[in-house]
Amino acid sequence: MQMVTVQWFVKCGLTTAVLLLACGFATARFGHGLQMPSTTTRDGSLITLNRYAKEPIPDVVLVGSSLTFRLKEEYFATTKLRNLALAGGSPVTGLEIVANQPRLPKIVLVETNVLSRATDNVLVEKYSWRGNAEPLFFRPVRTVVASYENWLHAPVTHAQAFSAHARLLKQPPSDFDNHVYVDRAVQQSNTEDPTVATQINVQRIEQLILALEQRGARVLLFQLPLSKELENARSIKIARDIVHARFPESDRWLTINVSRSELRWADGVHLDERSAFIVVQSIDRAVSLLL
Amino acid sequence: MTFTSWQFGIFVAVVFGLYYLPAFRALQVQLLVVASLFFYGYGQPELLPLLAVAVFGTYLFVVLALRNRSIWLPMGIAFNLALLAFFKYKFLFVDTTSPALVGESPIDFLLSLPLPIGISFFVFHNISLLVDLTKQKDAPSLASVFLYIIFFPQLVSGPITRAGLFIPQIGPKFLADVQYVDAAKWILTGYFFKLYVANNLNEMTSYMSFPLYETLQTQDRWLLVFLYSYQIYADFFGYSAIAIGLAVLFGYRLTINFDLPYISKSFSEFWTRWHISLSSWLRTYLYIPLGGNQKGITRTYLNLMIVMGLGGLWHGAGLSYLMWGVLHGFLLVIERPLLGRLQSIDSTVVRTAQMCFVFLCVTVLWIFFKLPHFDHAIGYLTGMFVPSTSPNPPKLFYNLALLYSLPVIIQHFAPRALFERRLRGAEPFLYGAMAALMYLEAGPETAFIYFQF
Repeated sequence: MQMVTVQWFVKCGLTTAVLLLACGFATARFGHGLQMPSTTTRDGSLITLNRYAKEPIPDVVLVGSSLTFRLKEEYFATTKLRNLALAGGSPVTGLEIVANQPRLPKIVLVETNVLSRATDNVLVEKYSWRGNAEPLFFRPVRTVVASYENWLHAPVTHAQAFSAHARLLKQPPSDFDNHVYVDRAVQQSNTEDPTVATQINVQRIEQLILALEQRGARVLLFQLPLSKELENARSIKIARDIVHARFPESDRWLTINVSRSELRWADGVHLDERSAFIVVQSIDRAVSLLL
Repeated sequence: MTFTSWQFGIFVAVVFGLYYLPAFRALQVQLLVVASLFFYGYGQPELLPLLAVAVFGTYLFVVLALRNRSIWLPMGIAFNLALLAFFKYKFLFVDTTSPALVGESPIDFLLSLPLPIGISFFVFHNISLLVDLTKQKDAPSLASVFLYIIFFPQLVSGPITRAGLFIPQIGPKFLADVQYVDAAKWILTGYFFKLYVANNLNEMTSYMSFPLYETLQTQDRWLLVFLYSYQIYADFFGYSAIAIGLAVLFGYRLTINFDLPYISKSFSEFWTRWHISLSSWLRTYLYIPLGGNQKGITRTYLNLMIVMGLGGLWHGAGLSYLMWGVLHGFLLVIERPLLGRLQSIDSTVVRTAQMCFVFLCVTVLWIFFKLPHFDHAIGYLTGMFVPSTSPNPPKLFYNLALLYSLPVIIQHFAPRALFERRLRGAEPFLYGAMAALMYLEAGPETAFIYFQF
């Protein structure tokens, strides 16, 4: 190999090494506190899971699917609460992660509307032991964007966010026509048969509940209200029947008392912001009695 | 085994080490053939017999065509096209997931085989081999034919190097002749474009999938189409660059596949800059044999439409791919009478406007690639021209989109003289920074887009 070639590779390699070292140093010094921008809903979930792995264990944890993902933490009056629901994911993933932590929250709330999805073993592995979630290097481009976004939109306090959302209640429910989205959701639900997947997930939830309750946590199941059409769709009914057959005791369930006429599902499946806030209030009331 | 896996890194290191050992000097071609078979069979061993049938079959037709070209050359081409048609287009006619297809086990077995990775590429290699080599007097060795068809850097997604360019390169290779810096530059650039640009943009363009795209705001639909345009370029250019760099390590030069396609000022120029090896192949083996532009204007237009339509279908059995090809053919036909007049106008404004128009059209047509289901593509396209009613649109970070697209923009628009002269001394530092950035800022792992073809 010619000397010129060797010099080229030395310069190239040294540049790489210096940049990696600089980034590693910056990560250790500044990196962990920064809220990174999320480009996908999965990213958003990962931010929450990162926080769960790093911060003190909260009193209440919610696990679930994208339905529960819409119940933003800032909607809750309960401050020591984390929502580990995964958009596009299974409640079992969140429950596994919680169960694998050395310390547990007082209450774990498990959404059981969507139980046909497989556990995300990669996420479970990554977040199962506290302290392992820290990356060695942060992502420099995302860090720059995160700093800029945080500077541009300074984070509001929990109280500010809560009062802003409370103002939503003074407005009437949305009159957005969602029938196209509802029809599509119902059609999709009618073509799926979630029996086998739901049975597997329900069995795993039962095992995890036993393990968590033996360690002192209380686990309650809940079902978020869906639009009337979707409640009667095939796969939703199958999943509901399976989970209620396995957990028939009423004290295993967290009851959500809301006026359905106030609720809207803008995209046919997920609660809109105002409706999510109403549901959260009901959960807040129930949780406050348990804490 | 994908180019971005650690297994592939180990594979290349081992093959490279063995390849230049003096003990293997006489067996270099055979070693590369065995390595390529291992590479191909690593993920789909059940498809190795198909590859063997394709290579042995083509070799047989080459030998026969050397005796009687007029009979055996068309037979050889038909054999290869039949292979491609069977594996690529059977999905149009049969449900391959069905447990019992026709009731005959051997046929059921064949029908249930998945689409062999890279079949579109190695079939085109085979046809090039048949056409180019049967003009000569002597048949190449079986090992040379094998290497040309299945050489692992180009096996899965090209570049589709012509047999006449590749086979003469086969011969003893020496470690002292390896162009290390050249190889490193290609490989680093390729991985950087794939990991930093394409994989990160893929996260954003995942919102273009059905039904997710219905939640997008109108302006975000437009933004994502442009991001996808950058993504598909970065993805395929990245793959091609890695392939070229790997080939250099083993002493071979593959065809350059991209030459800054998004600065094209006409659609015909675009096709001399985008996927060059495919467009050259189509021109040499399809457009010219059809008569090219030598049989009158109407026939020229028809030939363009046929070539582009078939080029679209080559990518996949679907109306979206056909529409993509036909629309490109249509644009080529429309611009043909205007080309001379436009080229005669010496105005920067006009040239910039032409460039923007070509880029816009090419970009919008990528929707048919991103959404192979035709109804979904039309749905997306329609939504770009009507106000969004989505109650809960996702938030896209425009600054992040810009930062991930920047390498493509810089590559296309930065003056070449800047890099070739003034920044030449900074070149190793620039590549070192790219290596660091592609590691630190790599997006989530995704398959190369052209693997599906």
